[in-house]
Amino acid sequence: MKKHRTRSTRLRTSRLLAVVLAFGLIVAACASDDDDDAGEAPAATEAMAEESMDESMDDESMDDDMDEAMDEAMDDESMDDSMDDAMMDLSGTKVTVFGPESSEEEAGAMQDALDVFAAATGIEIVYTGARDFSDQINAQAAGGNPPDIAVFPQPGKVGDFAAENWILAVPDEVQAAIGSQWPAGSLDTVTFGGTLYGVPNKTDLKSIVWYNTEIFESGGYSVPESLTELQILTADMLADGVTPWCVGIESGPATGWPFTDWMEDLVLRVQDENVYDQWVAGDLPFADPRIVGTAEFVLELWNLPGAVYAAGGSIAATPFGDNGEPLVAGDCAMHRQASFFAAFLPEGTSVGPGQTIDVFYFPAVAAKGNRPVLTAGTYVSAFRDAPEVWAVMEFFGSAEYANARQAAQAARQGGGQSGFLSANLNQDLSLYNDLERSFVEILQTASPARFDGSDLMPAAVGAGTFWTEGTSAVNGDKTVAEAFAAIDASWPQ
Amino acid sequence: MGALGGALIGVVIAIGASTALFFGANWLFDLAVDRWRTFLATSGALVGALIGAVIAGNDVAGGPLWLWAAVCAVVGAAAGIAASVLGTPSKSSRTRLSERGRLVTFLGPSLLFAALGLVIPLIRSIYLSLLDSRAAEWVGLANYGEILTNPNSLDLSGWTEIFTSRLFYAALVLIAVGLGIGMAVGRRRGRTMEALPGSIGPIAIGLFVLSFAVFTTLRGTVINNLWWVVVVTGLSTALGLAAAVLADGVRGESVAKSLIFLPMAISFVGAGIIWRFMYIARPPQKPQTGFLNAIWVWLGSLRPRTGGAWVAVLILALVTVLLAGLCAFGVKRRQTAFAIGAAVTAVPVLWLIYRFLGPGLGGSVPGPTGEPIAGTILFLQEAPFNNVWLMVVLIWIQTGFAMVILSAAIKAVPSELIEAARVDGATERQTFWNVIIPTIIPTITVVATTLIVLVMKVYDIVKVMTAGNFGTQVIANEMWQKAFTELNFGLGSALAVVLFLAVVPAMAFNIRRTQRADA
Repeated sequence: MKKHRTRSTRLRTSRLLAVVLAFGLIVAACASDDDDDAGEAPAATEAMAEESMDESMDDESMDDDMDEAMDEAMDDESMDDSMDDAMMDLSGTKVTVFGPESSEEEAGAMQDALDVFAAATGIEIVYTGARDFSDQINAQAAGGNPPDIAVFPQPGKVGDFAAENWILAVPDEVQAAIGSQWPAGSLDTVTFGGTLYGVPNKTDLKSIVWYNTEIFESGGYSVPESLTELQILTADMLADGVTPWCVGIESGPATGWPFTDWMEDLVLRVQDENVYDQWVAGDLPFADPRIVGTAEFVLELWNLPGAVYAAGGSIAATPFGDNGEPLVAGDCAMHRQASFFAAFLPEGTSVGPGQTIDVFYFPAVAAKGNRPVLTAGTYVSAFRDAPEVWAVMEFFGSAEYANARQAAQAARQGGGQSGFLSANLNQDLSLYNDLERSFVEILQTASPARFDGSDLMPAAVGAGTFWTEGTSAVNGDKTVAEAFAAIDASWPQ
Repeated sequence: MGALGGALIGVVIAIGASTALFFGANWLFDLAVDRWRTFLATSGALVGALIGAVIAGNDVAGGPLWLWAAVCAVVGAAAGIAASVLGTPSKSSRTRLSERGRLVTFLGPSLLFAALGLVIPLIRSIYLSLLDSRAAEWVGLANYGEILTNPNSLDLSGWTEIFTSRLFYAALVLIAVGLGIGMAVGRRRGRTMEALPGSIGPIAIGLFVLSFAVFTTLRGTVINNLWWVVVVTGLSTALGLAAAVLADGVRGESVAKSLIFLPMAISFVGAGIIWRFMYIARPPQKPQTGFLNAIWVWLGSLRPRTGGAWVAVLILALVTVLLAGLCAFGVKRRQTAFAIGAAVTAVPVLWLIYRFLGPGLGGSVPGPTGEPIAGTILFLQEAPFNNVWLMVVLIWIQTGFAMVILSAAIKAVPSELIEAARVDGATERQTFWNVIIPTIIPTITVVATTLIVLVMKVYDIVKVMTAGNFGTQVIANEMWQKAFTELNFGLGSALAVVLFLAVVPAMAFNIRRTQRADA
């Protein structure tokens, strides 16, 4: 009897041990997950940065360019001043920055610029970029696990986050330090209820068309001065057997945003800024004939047989970044995309007046005599209240950051078009090339200038149904009227 | 390396702590039965040390942690000894205490984790689903109403088109054929309806086609999810069963089964990316890089009555002759099913011949100058069948799973049963349909219910391949999009609850089955 009991006990013991072992493994697996989050992601970023550094090392002249630019930025006296304040005792602290810019050029240049500040202060600053930032930051914030600083491409989202009390108001000292460095009104888009919640990071100019100068030359086409001329140009090219446009609106979970940009540019042109403002604010429904008409105008242009080269088989299936290669290869003549598109052109493409690829201003309606410009930009907001975080925030708002990033991004692009644009008033414009200075000029002569509407709309629309329903309309799954009625229904009450 | 070392240390610590808890708790509760005073002193010391650690750890009072723990442990031990003076409970109550103590110690942590990780989030999700988008105001069932009324999630308006679709009539014909065969055979055997492969097969395929007729006309997220469940569960199980049966006992069985099982090792995201490359379409004037479109466009380049097409027709004609021979062979040997199978296989071959001779096949459309240019299929953009192309990915992955489980079940059918059937004169086919299948029906149900639960939650594939655009949205991706892209936590939670409710019956059925099997 006793023997029997011992055996069954032993059996039970070994079974329980197995369970314990399994439990231990699970706990360890969870622990290593944490390690992944905390250790490996930044390590990977670093490795990537190092790798790209190595690459640029191969090209000595480029390396020199970069060093020079960095030195220049470092030598700047005002920078030393601002660093003296921050230098106090911040070495050894760590600040994480998370944003949507994930290409090697953009994310790498951002890290390079932040490294300048890190080297001066001893703060370890780690930037991580993700293509689906918009989704991830929501999950991180809602889950109580946000980065220290996030780069928001949508001021509307900064407002949402401020309303949730997820992000912190920018303290008066920081506001005082950066306030005078930005054009009047540029901080208004991230000011909610009289409180500033963000610091500008970069500016994008959206109302421009990239074009293949070789096609324009050989076909005898000239840059259109009005929207009508643009339509005539499209028709001429079609008649000559040239594919006028490259269009692609695929962008993972954000698929559809290039369509919203076209919409906004054309509402500003065919309608006017008052209609635009009402529409963005939700006072004018999407179902309004003026808005529906604009969408139909866009889709009619895109759906002209042979008018669009879509590298992915159809407009809705073509990633927005895949339009650079066919534009350079001559598969299409024009591509309407923001100033950052330079970063998506194949390496070594010569860009600028008289080069392979040049840019013209997306023309307005001649009769109106105005020069509307659509802009966008990213803003940084802080999640953690700590001196090192505010020091980095202040750095983002400074001319030193703009200069360092401009230099680094230009160097990473092989010394050409950087794709980075800042509206900082104190920045060193000599770091820009001719084309980029012409962007700044377009920005300065804009009348009126408007911020990207979908980025100002509530997230449910601006980062939700405007994208998804817009994509349905582009793909022909729905009519514009059906799609836009669905957007109106989704507008938060 | 650092991460690996950390993980290993973590494993050692976790195993050590768990082992210590196991032996320690067993030892402690053994004490409760044998030596009451030591038990009280030890448990008093443990409780004291815990309280001390909590006090010091939360900075309630100053001083190092070990000191607080030690002092409180001594106090606890003293209190325990003092309590033992009051007397010793009876042996039976001590035994009961020991058993209950063990129960709580060993069950407690897992129940706690289950509550923290599953039960509490579930209750919170249900609560959130009754609030508005910002989780601020009570809106009752409005979020659920939204799911049922939004045409993107449930659009039944096209239901009349079911009856005009070609799929519907194809389904009717198949079901009628199945019923006809069943009744014809049944009358000969004196029954109204005979269930046999020849009748059940067409009826099953007919119902399957009917479901396509329904799911392509009724649209929306909820319908898509149901479609996924029907197609992926049905085809994965059927193909898995077929693979298990056909590979059973054949030379090279393990190689064949390994190949079919291989996709199981690929993550859904990885599979999604792989298949996106399979489906990719490029502009017609460019060479196609997607595997399927490359074949399709190549087929299209074989114009009717050109050299390439004639070669293709010749090959197809040879295949037809071969199939005709097989059919004749079947008729002669009175193997009706064999003959029918060969005849049925010949139908698509004949169709291919017709296309090559007549209107042409594959991707080609008339170009602007009338000259034919390549026409591609936008597998992922053309609704509603893009859903099916997405489902193919999951079927590709899950067939291996179904095959492995069903193969094990087939091998576990007692050989006595099969031998008995043989002795009674059953043919191979009769043994399969009337002995093996009924024996493994429980396993088939388990495979099917497991797949239903898995398919219901499909998310990664849709997210990676279409991001829910082009009418391919499913509930899980919609849930994520509503909650985390659009910050509508009310609607997101409501979708989560709907998904949960849809999964519960299958889960409950599965668990009950397992419990009955154990008992």
